[in-house]
Amino acid sequence: MDFFSPVIAGFGVVFQPENLFYCLLGVTLGMLVGVLPGLGPAATIAILLPVTYNIEPTAAIIMLAGIFYGAQYGGTITSVLLRLPGEASSVVTAIDGHEMARQGRAGSALGIAAIGSFIGGTVAVIALTFVAPLVAGFALDFGPAEYTALALLGILLVSTLGTGSTTKSILMATVGLLLATIGQDPLAGTSRLTFGSDQLLDGIDFVIVAMGLFGVGEILYSLESLRGKSAPAPSVGSVYPSRQDLGESKGAITRGSLVGFILGILPGGGATMSSMVAYAVEKKAAKHPERFGKGAIQGVAGPETANNAAATSSFIPLLTLGIPANATMAIMFGALLLQGITPGPLLVQEKPDLFWGVVNSMYVGNILLLAMSLPLIGIFVKILRIRAAILAPLTILITMIGVYTVRMNVFDMFLMVGLGIVGYLMKKVGFEPGPLVLAFVLGSLLESSFRRSMRLFDGQLTGFFGQPIAATLLVAILLIIVVPPLSRSLRKQRRKVAA
Amino acid sequence: MRMSSTIGLRIGGALLAVVALSACSVKGGGAGDGAAYPSKAVEFTVPTEPGGSTDLVTRALAKSIEKPLGKPAVVVNKPGANGKIAGKDVFSSKPDGYRVAVMPQSLFAIGPLMVQDPDAIKLDDMTFVKGLAVEDYALVVPAASPYKSLKDLLAADNLKYGTTGAGTGSQLSQALLFGVAKVKATPVPFDGGAPTITAVLGGKVDAASVQIAEAAKHVQSGKLRALAVFGTKRVEALPDVPTATESGYDVVVDQRRFVAAPAGLPADVRDKLAGAIDKAIATPEYGELLKSNYIGRWEVGGDEVKTQLTKAQGEFAALTKKLGIDLTGQQ
Repeated sequence: MDFFSPVIAGFGVVFQPENLFYCLLGVTLGMLVGVLPGLGPAATIAILLPVTYNIEPTAAIIMLAGIFYGAQYGGTITSVLLRLPGEASSVVTAIDGHEMARQGRAGSALGIAAIGSFIGGTVAVIALTFVAPLVAGFALDFGPAEYTALALLGILLVSTLGTGSTTKSILMATVGLLLATIGQDPLAGTSRLTFGSDQLLDGIDFVIVAMGLFGVGEILYSLESLRGKSAPAPSVGSVYPSRQDLGESKGAITRGSLVGFILGILPGGGATMSSMVAYAVEKKAAKHPERFGKGAIQGVAGPETANNAAATSSFIPLLTLGIPANATMAIMFGALLLQGITPGPLLVQEKPDLFWGVVNSMYVGNILLLAMSLPLIGIFVKILRIRAAILAPLTILITMIGVYTVRMNVFDMFLMVGLGIVGYLMKKVGFEPGPLVLAFVLGSLLESSFRRSMRLFDGQLTGFFGQPIAATLLVAILLIIVVPPLSRSLRKQRRKVAA
Repeated sequence: MRMSSTIGLRIGGALLAVVALSACSVKGGGAGDGAAYPSKAVEFTVPTEPGGSTDLVTRALAKSIEKPLGKPAVVVNKPGANGKIAGKDVFSSKPDGYRVAVMPQSLFAIGPLMVQDPDAIKLDDMTFVKGLAVEDYALVVPAASPYKSLKDLLAADNLKYGTTGAGTGSQLSQALLFGVAKVKATPVPFDGGAPTITAVLGGKVDAASVQIAEAAKHVQSGKLRALAVFGTKRVEALPDVPTATESGYDVVVDQRRFVAAPAGLPADVRDKLAGAIDKAIATPEYGELLKSNYIGRWEVGGDEVKTQLTKAQGEFAALTKKLGIDLTGQQ
């Protein structure tokens, strides 16, 4: 079988001792940052980017991927025990999870979350194995016109479907687009907004934006918000869910896998959104929706399964099209570029070892995480006692050294600290860095693809509609912009008529 | 307990980085005296990200040069502004032979045609130590393309051609070819070789000029067809593909890489370094790397490097002027 031989070879890559070690390191780090409120997977991956520079590419990406899905496991712990979500993607878990903890069923909640995460993650990897080569197969049809439409769709979705206010998200996306224009014009090579400085000629390095806004910004913010708060961790009890718990969660885990997998692929989707949608789905599907908010186990199982499935499936657009679906994937994109690998349609064919090594490492990672979340959970709960005053300065120090090692450039360190302060202020007034960072990444893709398209179409905008995939995507974009306000005003009118 | 060990690991990583850094920044101190040279590590600056062919060649060179040099060789990547950032940094340092850079011909021969930069690196800012490598470009079309030969392609009208970026030999070679042949053609620049190849494979552009290393395997597997190479003679990897000159279009564009030090490097230091490079490039490991990456040898002395750069600069400027090709506006 031609299809399976690279897949099987990929397992050979995973089981090399070095790669296994980085997989273990990644998921352990992921669990840790998941547990620690304030430091998210995006920030952690951003901070570790320069360190990965000296690691072999496959091992580096295996580790970073482990951090991402590992954090989905860890984030649950604080959500359930303290009602303090370790991750944005575990916010909804706090609702019923913490309620269960107060009823003395913390163990069951954590156990079912771990099992759900494991199933969601594993189902998503299996689906990924079959879907990704398929997408890569027709990815050659993706040219400048299609990338223009896809980038536009991604920026639009991340600003409108995000978790915060839409207006703020759109504002942030705009800033991201503007920042992306700094540097050499991608087609003509003339310099723009560089103020005569050679340092800005190549634009602002994505790594610096990510480390500044996510890394430094989040650390500063968490220092402030955690001051004086001590974390009394309640006892966990048995983490092995009862037969009844499992029976009640079966449906939720199945639905969560599906919701997570699909939303993870969509641009602008990802772990956070899928967990929220999964919670809503469970509430709709439940026989006793009134139990939600009062410790319904489905309210934990559904979202926790979904966020892990989404964390896995969001690798599909990145590894096959070179399009990051969410902010964390955008940073992963940066990690690949740093290793001299441009993710795109040719990756599966040209670097099968890397591709299948990373994909298959997720099976192993999920098994490791299941082991860590069930028998070893007590160890991770203890981490909550580490003081932010020790952790934060240390992390900043590592970040500063890290950013210098990328280009050996002192200017970059100042730039990152500056962006870190901006990131802190943004968070303080309720602006999420996510849309900015994603728009920053997709901005250069959008601009250069659009201008390439214009050259291909002899300057005619109508050329886009001669390309079936691009035309379909553009119609979808139009519908997204037009339909919601329209249906809202229709509903208003109907209400008026009824009244 | 668990946490502290992980922090330990992170710090370990950071410390490693610091050690690596201090090993890199070995500037100042040494006297530029030929007899004592080298008394410490020599730093080779690469003006691109890791992974490209300049990086590959430099790393292979650094590995093989440690023995003849008798001191460690350290490779530092300093990407940015098409090599200008690295060049400005290295060529403004002390000319003592401890900091050299591996530079591309395109920065000096094609760059000035693209952007007027009064602050650009001049040939007089450098001491040329040694030529290293030459890479050719091939003009490719998709296998399914109706254009079977260069003649077919140049008989077409309103072509769209992919280039690997602004200011590259890929762009210049095609701009000159279509200019000489008087064919209306629009350049579509992509970010480097891989995306350009993807666009040709997908039939998004009619043709593209890419480096042999990037084209060879797709041509050999039958997914792309090579219509011409832009070197002075045919290339080993594609023996059946004629040069543009053979086909009647006198367009010769290639990429060359060389080792340069700051201006004013003492002649005895230069000779010593060049001698060590000679021994390094004769090793089988170095040769193997060049071969597997389809990189040609251009192992000439420093003076000849200068002659070639001056010649390329003048020729390209004269040709573009004569054909009325404006690379800055690109249309």
